[in-house]
Amino acid sequence: MNLDIIAQMAVSGALMGLVYALIAYGFQLTFATSKSINFGQGELVMLSAFFSLTLLDLGVPYWLMVPGGLMFGAAMGLVVERACVRLSLEQKSEGWILLTIIFGLLGFSAAENIWGRDDRPFPSPISADAMDFFGISITGLEISVAIGVFLVMGVIELFKRRTLMGKAFEAVSADRDAAELMGISATHTIMLSYGLSGMVAAMAGILISPITTVGPTMASALILKAFSVAVVAGLDSGFGVVVIGICLGALESLTSFYLGSGWREAPGLILLILALAVRPNGVFGKASIRKV
Amino acid sequence: MLQVENLHAGYGTSEVLVGTTLHVKQGTVVALIGANGAGKTTTMRAISGMIKPTGGQVLLGGKPVQGLSASRIAKLGLAHSPEGRKVFGPLSVEDNLLLGAYNHLPMFFGFRGKAATDLAKIYELFPRLKERRKQAAGTLSGGEQQMLAIGRALMANPKVILLDEPSMGLAPVIVQEVFSIIRRLKEAGITLLLVEQFAKSALEVADYAYVMERGRIAVEGTPAELNQNERVIAAYLG
Repeated sequence: MNLDIIAQMAVSGALMGLVYALIAYGFQLTFATSKSINFGQGELVMLSAFFSLTLLDLGVPYWLMVPGGLMFGAAMGLVVERACVRLSLEQKSEGWILLTIIFGLLGFSAAENIWGRDDRPFPSPISADAMDFFGISITGLEISVAIGVFLVMGVIELFKRRTLMGKAFEAVSADRDAAELMGISATHTIMLSYGLSGMVAAMAGILISPITTVGPTMASALILKAFSVAVVAGLDSGFGVVVIGICLGALESLTSFYLGSGWREAPGLILLILALAVRPNGVFGKASIRKV
Repeated sequence: MLQVENLHAGYGTSEVLVGTTLHVKQGTVVALIGANGAGKTTTMRAISGMIKPTGGQVLLGGKPVQGLSASRIAKLGLAHSPEGRKVFGPLSVEDNLLLGAYNHLPMFFGFRGKAATDLAKIYELFPRLKERRKQAAGTLSGGEQQMLAIGRALMANPKVILLDEPSMGLAPVIVQEVFSIIRRLKEAGITLLLVEQFAKSALEVADYAYVMERGRIAVEGTPAELNQNERVIAAYLG
């Protein structure tokens, strides 16, 4: 067995895993404020990627397309909140589960009809050439994934910790009623969280598409792994999703290399089952502090 | 400053408040006392918009606010320190206080500077909170959390503060401390509606008091009057 190959596989897998982490982070954002998540998040990634690709087709330069794609993702996040989540939260029902799944199905059909069923390449000005780091070759695209993921998560974490609006966001997660009593509108905060979550999904789409291509089916593969990462890491730890995302990505790529690509999905699902059986709060999930 | 007229409210189909009327004049401390389940907390919740009143009126500074969301009513100048304190456990003490002033501070940056004078005042009133300002609020003792909840309400510079059961679950010494704080707030001219189980202590600080029974006001008067009222003595002061 060749250590170089193992290291190579692990590193490129880990970089892919960062994208799962980013999508999982999108789950955490909305779960924090509303205890709800968008089960159509994968389709949101895919739709944003297609939208961004269309912008490129229309001749929009790459670096202008990025903010455009992010805005589209944020707008779609707001649509999901308004159409699928708000009413059921007001009625304290779990209707958002079904409605966000339906949103995903609609998004899938819409994408097939608008953009076709074929996978399409996603051009990027970032180099796909491999560079050598201590015997491991990493492409510019893979590095851009890492930079993009840490940039987006870093900016959002800074927002949450350093601005008053971010603290209000945390306050709504901690105690919605008490936050309302401070004059913080829970509705607006939940909208904000869905907007951010949509933006994060768009970023994931823009980062991963040049590596994997864009197609209507990209959603289902991504969402399952992102979901595993979110559940295994816990729905409240941004640091946790990064660690678990990296591990899962590496495991996956090693599994498909040694056992065949048919086994690619296995590690995520096994981890998911193990986590649910052993630590339902997630490896990094903290039991909330409650004291009277 | 705060007028509650014929208020009706409840949970689901069960009506708890069946026509509560009470008035809080500017600069006074008004106590609302009564047995468990009489509807004291529900009154507070209906005033602050945590539950929607099904009938009647709530006037804040003369303007009707019933039916508005809790965050709207808070913006209009009502601070409700709820039953059970409800501090933001994972956030630091100082962040809790800053969020109390959420409506007056810039959303993004520079909010710390703008809140500095108000923060200093709160820390002067509660030196303990200053010591613990970086600590997560959830790790404070019950008494400290109560101080924090009061401080957080004060940070809003509200027209009226609703204080729900500030003594709940606290050791007698701490209860004393809480009441001495309430006395200081009264001297500072803060308008306060106080719900309390400890009727005696509440009547000592209040300018006026209401006794609630089964969802409506049964008796009202100055503390001196209530201290003479046989019914009140038998039920709450004996």
